[in-house]
Amino acid sequence: MLAKFGEIDLDTIDVSNLNRQFLFQKKHVGKSKAQVAKESVLQFCPTANIKAYHDSIMNPDYNVEFFRNFMLVMNALDNRAARNHVNRMCLAADIPLIESGTAGYLGQVTVIKKGLTECYECQPKPTQKTFPGCTIRNTPSEPIHCIVWAKYLFNQLFGEEDADQEVSPDTADPELSWNPADTEARATASDQDGDIKRVSTKDWARSTGYDSVKLFNKLFKDDIQYLLTMDKLWKKRKAPLPLDWLELQKLACPQEVTGTGLKDQHVLGVAGYSQLFSRSVETLRSMLADKGDGAELVWDKDDPAAMDFVTAAANLRMHIFSMNMKSRFDIKSMAGNIIPAIATTNAVIAGLIVLEALKILSGDVEQCRTIFLNKQPNPRKKLLVPCALDPPSANCYVCASKPEVTVKLNVNKTLVLALQDKILKEKFGMVAPDVQIEDGKGTILISSEEGETEANNSKFLSDFGIRNGSRLQVDDFLQDYTLLVNVIHCEELEKDVEFEVVGDAPDKAPTPPSSQEEQKNFANGNKDSAEPSTSSNAPAEQDDVLIVDSDEEPSSSTMDVSTESGGLKRKLHDAETGEASAKRQRLDQATADDDDDIIALD
Amino acid sequence: MIDMIEKEDSIISEEEAAQYDRQIRLWGLDAQKRLRGSRVLLVGLRGLGAEVAKNLILAGVKGLTLLDHEQVTEESCRAQFLIPVSAQGQNRAQASLERAQYLNPMVAVKADTDRVEEKPDEFFLQFDAVCLTGCSRDLMIRVDQLCSQNNIKVFCGDVFGYHGYMFSDLGLEHNYVEEKPKAVKPKTEESNEHDGPEAKKPKVDPSETTMIKKVNVDFCCLKDALEVDWTSEKAKSSLKRTPVDYFLLHVLLKFRTDKGRDPNPESFAEDSTLLRQIRDDVLEAMTLSSELLPHDFVSYCFSEMAPVCAVVGGVLGQEVVKALSQRDAPHRNFFFFDGMKGSGVVDYFGPN
Repeated sequence: MLAKFGEIDLDTIDVSNLNRQFLFQKKHVGKSKAQVAKESVLQFCPTANIKAYHDSIMNPDYNVEFFRNFMLVMNALDNRAARNHVNRMCLAADIPLIESGTAGYLGQVTVIKKGLTECYECQPKPTQKTFPGCTIRNTPSEPIHCIVWAKYLFNQLFGEEDADQEVSPDTADPELSWNPADTEARATASDQDGDIKRVSTKDWARSTGYDSVKLFNKLFKDDIQYLLTMDKLWKKRKAPLPLDWLELQKLACPQEVTGTGLKDQHVLGVAGYSQLFSRSVETLRSMLADKGDGAELVWDKDDPAAMDFVTAAANLRMHIFSMNMKSRFDIKSMAGNIIPAIATTNAVIAGLIVLEALKILSGDVEQCRTIFLNKQPNPRKKLLVPCALDPPSANCYVCASKPEVTVKLNVNKTLVLALQDKILKEKFGMVAPDVQIEDGKGTILISSEEGETEANNSKFLSDFGIRNGSRLQVDDFLQDYTLLVNVIHCEELEKDVEFEVVGDAPDKAPTPPSSQEEQKNFANGNKDSAEPSTSSNAPAEQDDVLIVDSDEEPSSSTMDVSTESGGLKRKLHDAETGEASAKRQRLDQATADDDDDIIALD
Repeated sequence: MIDMIEKEDSIISEEEAAQYDRQIRLWGLDAQKRLRGSRVLLVGLRGLGAEVAKNLILAGVKGLTLLDHEQVTEESCRAQFLIPVSAQGQNRAQASLERAQYLNPMVAVKADTDRVEEKPDEFFLQFDAVCLTGCSRDLMIRVDQLCSQNNIKVFCGDVFGYHGYMFSDLGLEHNYVEEKPKAVKPKTEESNEHDGPEAKKPKVDPSETTMIKKVNVDFCCLKDALEVDWTSEKAKSSLKRTPVDYFLLHVLLKFRTDKGRDPNPESFAEDSTLLRQIRDDVLEAMTLSSELLPHDFVSYCFSEMAPVCAVVGGVLGQEVVKALSQRDAPHRNFFFFDGMKGSGVVDYFGPN
C-alpha cells in the first residue's frame, strides 16, 4: 500500500525502554532508535521500504516539500514543541496527521486533517505547571516545591545559572507586606543591594571550595534562620526548623537496609541525607573541576551524583519544612518527569493508530475518530471510547485563515530576545520566526537569519517604537505560518509573569489528582511537565501522553473513571449515539505499522 | 496457585530494576514480584497469540509456554511478528521461540508442539494462568472448568477480521488490591482576618497513597457465560444494551467447531453462506431475531488483522498481568472490540 516509510528519531536506546519498546533488545542499548527499529522491522517484513533518520524532526531539512512526499504522518512524540511543529508542517503540506499518546494505563488517538478537523493547537492545552518564586524560595508546602528548589540549586552551584532559578530567601515576597508598593520597594532594594545575597551562589560556593559543610549550614541553617525572621510568613504556617551539621552527625547511625525492596525505595533518615548531600557535592565538585574552566554540568536524572544531590537536598528541605521525606525512587519520578509506561497500553494505541491509518488510506477519512483508552470501563461499559472529530476552531491561532493573537506585556521591560524566545518560540511554537513591525516602514525586528538582528536582542520593544496597539507580523517560513500579534502595553502583570496571551484560560493548579499516577502525568509529554525541567538536554522519557478519559458523571460502580479525569470536562461525542462532541487532549504514541514504507522520525 | 506465590520471595536484581523501572513505577514492586513468580501457558501462536506472548514476556513473568501444533503458512507470517519469514513449514510455536526469547532473556520461554486437545489434565495444573487462543468451544469449556477448580486463572481470546474478544474466569474468589489516594480532609478553620494576604494552608501530599484491599467474587465459568438464557422477557429487554459481538462470537465458534477452521478469504463465498446459515440457526435457538447480526456481518470477520490483534492482545495481556499481580480491578468478564467502530466494551455474561 504505502510506497515509503520514513522514520525520524534523534534518540538512542536506553535499558529502561526495553520493557515496552519491543523492537529493541539489550544489545542495542546506546544505538540509534530509528536505525534499530528499521532493522528489527525488516526482520519480520523484509519487503518494507524504510528510511531511518537519526535526527530531530525540527531540523529545517524536513520542510513542507519533504512532508509532501508522504500520504500520511503518524506521531509518536514526547514533547509539545515537536507536536506543534509537526502539526503546522502537516497543515502546510495538507497531509493527514495521526496524533496519539499514552501514559500508564491511559491512551488516546486522533486524526488531524486540514480544513476538516481541529488541528493540534485548536484547543488551548494546559501549560507546564510552574510555581511562584516565593513558594520555591520561602514557603514550600509540598515535596515538589522542594524538588524544584533542589534542581535550581544544582544549576546555581554546578550548572548554568538562571535568574529565574534563585534559591535564596526572597525578600520581595508579596506576603511580607500589606501593599504592592512596599513589595515593589523591597524588590528594588534587593536588586540594588550590593550585599552578600547578591553574590552569585556559584561564586560563593567556589570561594569556599565547595565545602559541603559550609554549604549545608548556609542552605539548611543560615538561610532558614533568615526566613524565620520574616515572621509574617509563619503566622499561619508551621515554621521551618533549621538543621545543624554537627548536631546531625551526632545522630547519624548506620542505615539498616532490609533485603527485599529496591535499594532506591528506602527512605533514609535526615542524618543519612546530610551525608548523601556531602558525598554528592564532593563528586559533583570534582566532575566540574575535571571539565575545566568555565565548565557547567547539566542535570540528568540518570547521572547518579546529580540524582543523589537532588534527592539529598530536596529531602533535607522537606524535613526542614515538616514534610515526610521521600525515597530516591520517588524523587527521581518527580524530578525526572518520569511517566510510567507499559507494553500493553502502547500495543492498544498502536493498533488503533493503524486502524485509523487504514481508513485514511482507503479514502474514508470521515470514518476517523478520536478514541480514548480508559483504565476501567465508563458507565456505558466502554473501555475504548470513539468520539467524532471536531471541526477546526474558527479562532485557532494556527489553522484559522488569518490567525491573530493579542499579547499583554510591558513594552519598556520586554527585551526583543524575550519576545523571540519566550513568546514566539516557547509559547507560540515557532522554530525560526521573522518579525516585522506594522509601522508603515516594515521595520524588521527579528530575522531568522543568524546574526542579522542580533544587535536588537538586548533592546526593549519600546526602543523600536512599539507601544500599546502596535501590531507585529510574525512569519515562520519553515512552518509556512504567519501570525499577527497585537501588542497591549500593560504595567501591572502579576509577579513572575512576563506576558499574558489574551483569551488564554488562566493557568490553574491542576485539580488534585484524585487517584492514580495517570492523573498526575497528564502532560503533553515528559519534557513539558511540571516545572522541574531545568535540564534542557536531559533525554526525556519517550512516552507522552495524555489524555484522558471520557465522560462523565461519577458512577456508583467501583470504577473510578470519572474521578480519574478530575476536573476535565468534556462533552462526549459518542459516535453511535450522536451526542455533543468531545474535546480531546494530547496524545502521544508508539510505533508504526509493518506496511511497506515507513519513515520513522524522532 | 496464585496465592501461594511468595511476594517476599527474593530480592529484585539491579538488572530487573533497571529494565522494569517504568512498569514498577506504575504497578509497584509487589506486583512485579508476583509476576516474576508466575508461570503461564499460552495456546495458539497466530497473530493474537504473538501479541499476548510479547506482552507477557515484556511484563516479566517467570515462564511462558507456547503451545501450538500447527505449521507456519505464508499467511501466518503476515500477522505474526515473531515468526521469521524463512520459517515456513516449521511448527508455529517453535518458529516463534527465538524472537520471543529475545524480547526478555529473564523469562523462561518454551515451545510445545503438541495438540492442546491431547494434553492430560495434569499438564495444565503446572501453570498459574492459562490463555487459550484459536481453540474450539468445547476445549475452552473443558480447560476452563479444570483450571478454575484448581485456582488457575483462565483467559480466552480470538480475533476474527475487525472483531475480537477476550473472556476471563478468575474463579469464585479473586483477591486484588487497588491504590487509592489518602483522603484529603478539608480545613475547617477559615481565615476571617482582613489584615493580610491569605496564608496558604498545609496540604496533604497528593503523591501519598494508601492501598485498599478488595475481594471480587463473581467470575463464572465459560460454559455458563456462553449459555445465557435469552428466552425470558427480562433477558430480551436487556438486548438493547447488549453488545452484538457476543452473538457474533457464538456464530464464529460454531463455524470453528463445524469446519475445524476459521472463515478463510479463499473460500469467501462459501464461508459467508455458511456463516449466515449458522447465524440464523444460533439466533433462532436462542429465540432471538436473526437481524441482530446484519447481513453484511460476514464482511468483517475474515482473517486476523494485525492491528486488531494488537488491541485485543493488549487488553488481554493486561488482564493476565492484573490477575497474576493481584492488582487493580479485573474486567468482568468479556471484552469485545469492534475495529470498524473503534469501540471496546466490557460486559458480563453469566448467571446473576
